[in-house]
Amino acid sequence: MKCARCGAEVTNKIIKINGVIYCENCVKELGYDRFLKNPEELLGAAFSPLDEIASSFAKMAELDFGNSALTCPKCGMSLREFENKGIVGCIECYNTFGDYVTKEMFRQQGADEYAGRAPGQSLIAEDSLIGEDDSAEEKKDTSKADAKVDEEKKEKAEDKAADPAGDEKKLEKLSKADIGMLTDEELTEGIKLATKLENYQLAIRFRDELKGRKDGE
Amino acid sequence: MSMWYEKYGKEQDVVLSTKAFIVRNIKGYNFPDKMSDSDFDSLEDKIDEAVDKTVTGNIWSANALGSGDSTDSSLLTPESQLFGINMGILRHPEHKRIYYNDDAGLSVVVGSGEHLTIRAMSAGYDPSVYSKAESIAVNLERKLDMAYSDRYGFLTSNLKLTGTGFKMLYTVAIPAISKSNGALTTLRQRVGQYYWDIYPFAEQGELGNSGVYIITNVSTMGVSEDEIIKRGEKLLSDIIQFERALREKVATKNKVQTSDMYGRAYGLLRYASIINRKEAIDALSWLRVFKEYDDLGEVNISWEKINKLTQDVCWEFIPTIKRNSTDAAAIRAAKIKTILKGDD
Repeated sequence: MKCARCGAEVTNKIIKINGVIYCENCVKELGYDRFLKNPEELLGAAFSPLDEIASSFAKMAELDFGNSALTCPKCGMSLREFENKGIVGCIECYNTFGDYVTKEMFRQQGADEYAGRAPGQSLIAEDSLIGEDDSAEEKKDTSKADAKVDEEKKEKAEDKAADPAGDEKKLEKLSKADIGMLTDEELTEGIKLATKLENYQLAIRFRDELKGRKDGE
Repeated sequence: MSMWYEKYGKEQDVVLSTKAFIVRNIKGYNFPDKMSDSDFDSLEDKIDEAVDKTVTGNIWSANALGSGDSTDSSLLTPESQLFGINMGILRHPEHKRIYYNDDAGLSVVVGSGEHLTIRAMSAGYDPSVYSKAESIAVNLERKLDMAYSDRYGFLTSNLKLTGTGFKMLYTVAIPAISKSNGALTTLRQRVGQYYWDIYPFAEQGELGNSGVYIITNVSTMGVSEDEIIKRGEKLLSDIIQFERALREKVATKNKVQTSDMYGRAYGLLRYASIINRKEAIDALSWLRVFKEYDDLGEVNISWEKINKLTQDVCWEFIPTIKRNSTDAAAIRAAKIKTILKGDD
């Protein structure tokens, strides 16, 4: 679990404010350490003076933009820069800004699952490829790539063959159901199936729902 | 040798051009926005080794920019039209390089937004441009280690391209749709149903109501290359039919007026000594609407020429050195006259 503000791993205590997860340090920096206190202490405290309420609003505003500290270790792009420009700086940015990238992609394209071809694979007949010469080295490279592609295809085919019949149907049924009505067992099964069938978006949805229920208990 | 956009194309009364763009990035380098000069140099060398010069053997470097922008010949499009790049807004021009074939219909652009942009362009309606672009892309993918993940597909700096990195663009001249009440709204809805987008060649200015539109796929995620091509084919078939039906309606219902506008339009293009872009594009629209209904055949102009002129006017190179607008209009008129003379 990572802090949404600084990106650090949250190890001790998970603090959720308005649905966003923070680490203890960030909560202290933002002046929300009262969330760390025991409920008994809060009950015993006097009402907050007005200026404290006003400063709370200011801090709330900061919460919206509090992720500027999250920075890609490879290219140095900050989350705020990514949000402003709408582009990423390097491959590592996809890991660093993971959920943000997925959300932005979904917002812009209406989908975040890849459905295209793999590198080196072709939709057209091999003999009509432009620029394929007969040099031995290139042929070697090509055959390597072909072998890789064939291997991938084989793996995928094996995976599919290993799938119990109806997995896709089961997952489709779960994905169409009202997520709030699914049992914990169904959600767990949904996570497994979605992961197996590489529908990670759905797996995340099931996982978050299940987690939300456990947090609420 | 004639350039790609001067050639015959299918359905050329409506479709000016078909373009397939495939973008790719290479592992081990930041994306262009975060690249250092030395990274650029290294990347350029790597790409230079991998590009098949037997296919795209000509090299254009952006360092040549500005070499002729004060001469008459530069007014009607040199590189901008050939490569579909607005040369005036290039960032880091020193790092741009284009490998292209003899008619410039195939090109590999280095450092324009992403590391590599592979382009295949053809006059008229020609979905087969995809296979030409893909062929070059596959060849490069086998030689270079591309930025790719199983989850997101081909990784790009611009998240609108992540996935297949493939955009299909059709440039269409649809004056009848754009001038008919409600027709454009209907078309937009149709385009949206295919999850594609339509936008005018220019939102405002002299070409604001040019009747020239670009139609392109929105998604590069959640949809395969095959599906993008199929959707485009269906969509274009609808658009061509729709535009032709409206042209017929306009030309037959108001034949005298439309015929009059047609003759005047040709006269303006053929004999004007000064012509601005709006006048030129409006005149070309009238030629387009009525050409198939010109029973008398008094105006002799081919679709190839109408399309060449339309693209010349649309992609006109705007020099960085400010030119007197009357001079520009005179140079434009002279160019158009010269092109039309051949049909007399």
